[in-house]
Amino acid sequence: MGIHFREVSFHYPQNQLTFYQAIADITLQIAKQDEFICLIGRTGSGKSTLAQHMNALLLPTEGSVEIFGSLITNKRDKKINYNLLRKHVGLVFQFPEYQLFEETVEKDIMFGPLNFHVPPEQAKQIASETIKLVGLDETYLKRNPFNLSGGEKKRVSIAGILAFDPDILVLDEPTSGLDPQGKIQMMELFKAIQAKTGKSIIIITHDMDLVYEHASRVIVLHDGSLIYDESPEVLFRRGDLEQFHLQYPNTIKVLSALRDRFGLDLDIYQKNLPDALLAIKKAVAR
Amino acid sequence: MKNIVLGQYLPGQGFFYRMDPRTKIIGVIALMVAIFLLETIPQLLIALAIGVVCMLLGRLSIKRIAKGMRPLFILLIFTFFFQILFNKEGSILLQETLTISLASIGAIIALTILWRLLAKLRRFRFLLLLGYLAGVYFSLAYLAYGYTFASFVFTVYERGVEMSVFVVIRLLVIITLSTILTLTTKPTDLTQGLESLMRPLKVIGIRSDEFALIISISLRYIPTILDEANKIMAAQASRGADFLQGRLKDKIRQIISLLVPMFIIAFKRSEDLADAMETRNFIPGMKRTRISELAFGKTDILATLFIVSSLAASIVLRVL
Repeated sequence: MGIHFREVSFHYPQNQLTFYQAIADITLQIAKQDEFICLIGRTGSGKSTLAQHMNALLLPTEGSVEIFGSLITNKRDKKINYNLLRKHVGLVFQFPEYQLFEETVEKDIMFGPLNFHVPPEQAKQIASETIKLVGLDETYLKRNPFNLSGGEKKRVSIAGILAFDPDILVLDEPTSGLDPQGKIQMMELFKAIQAKTGKSIIIITHDMDLVYEHASRVIVLHDGSLIYDESPEVLFRRGDLEQFHLQYPNTIKVLSALRDRFGLDLDIYQKNLPDALLAIKKAVAR
Repeated sequence: MKNIVLGQYLPGQGFFYRMDPRTKIIGVIALMVAIFLLETIPQLLIALAIGVVCMLLGRLSIKRIAKGMRPLFILLIFTFFFQILFNKEGSILLQETLTISLASIGAIIALTILWRLLAKLRRFRFLLLLGYLAGVYFSLAYLAYGYTFASFVFTVYERGVEMSVFVVIRLLVIITLSTILTLTTKPTDLTQGLESLMRPLKVIGIRSDEFALIISISLRYIPTILDEANKIMAAQASRGADFLQGRLKDKIRQIISLLVPMFIIAFKRSEDLADAMETRNFIPGMKRTRISELAFGKTDILATLFIVSSLAASIVLRVL
């Protein structure tokens, strides 16, 4: 169960003669339970394309993707209910503007559950539960989604996916456009969802602090190829990340600068601010 | 979706590409007039031959042009049969009594089923359609067995056949002309040419430059909006609204879920564009300079000579 990529390549056709290869020869496995994966890579490296393969929005040009037992290949298979696959894997797009369309937030959150044949009464119930889950209160349910701020729209769009309770959550830059407080809240929400239900969560992001602090596994794409698939502890101990246009987390950058500037005996691999402070204190005391 | 070919423009070389769009626009109009002045099939065939020679000299692929004309094939076929059926001049070429009887209806049903079964062979679509029509005709003409519902006389006249061939060739030449124009001219060049040609209309209060700006902005944004529509469809599909599946009732709801975000994004984009233009000091009605000015070159002089002489030749042929 879960998602299994086997030598997947995808071409975007450009015109009759040429195509643009977005991802090439990718093989990876995502378990249904307890994964917290961050998908990183520079702009245009194929992250979003890969994410859209995870719920069969795009069909692989070559290779195959197995999603919860259904084998997705290049040809649309009449026996597979593609719509139902999307109930298993919920994908939140980067820009909420592409998703919101109803006149109230409540109706918009109910859109997903209704498409998957949840009774209207129950869908209403779900809407008022999920809106609280994403950090907004019930007064938002009656508001027009187009009059919300960018961060609020983002939360509503995430609620729209959470509402139909997918088995795996895929989020394309869920924290972009949120203030620092909102980012922390959002990440806590995802952690809480995972702690409660054990769902696997996949996040596309450019925020290395977030990757280092939360991810249990990092997948790095570069020019459409998968180059690293390992834990963040191993990844950020590598010295060659800059050649793939990737940065190191702020804690590592600051601590290594301090170590080099003052010659401290310092463990620079600290995942968050309190730990980093503790490490500095320890080093200074020595 | 990143590089959508708008219209039929296909990048290439050859003198058609080097020509000023104004020459091409006026040339196409003038040559169309010239074609309409021609009166006999041989004259049209000569015009077609000259056209083909020009295409070869301009290094255009005839296959590609034929491909561009494919959607208009139905129009050509329709015109052909229309002329044959309704033109009743000249001597009779063929006369046949067509009978709608039990046997012929049975045969037509059988043919239709066979035709639909063979529809998988898309390469031979056209031949199959012709075969089907011929089959229908023969079963009407010769299978007059069983109970007869009605019968009528079908006649083909000499002038009908002649006119149908004439009209079809004429349409073919005219479509080829406009295809060459759209195939070798970028939409932006085309609007620039039109703007330049319509400039004298300023006298009667039509502002061609504003018109051209509106057209070129719309052309520019078609691929962008399409791209956006795809993203919206993907976002809604991931909430269980797959546009390829579902019943009619669901489909209507899915279309609304596509249209609302699309309008909102389009409005927002146009406001952003207006702001961006104003920050770069765009003032409506002011004269603007261009990066690429239209230039009238050697090829254009040759082309003008060719166009004027063809027009003159067809006037002479008509008057004589």
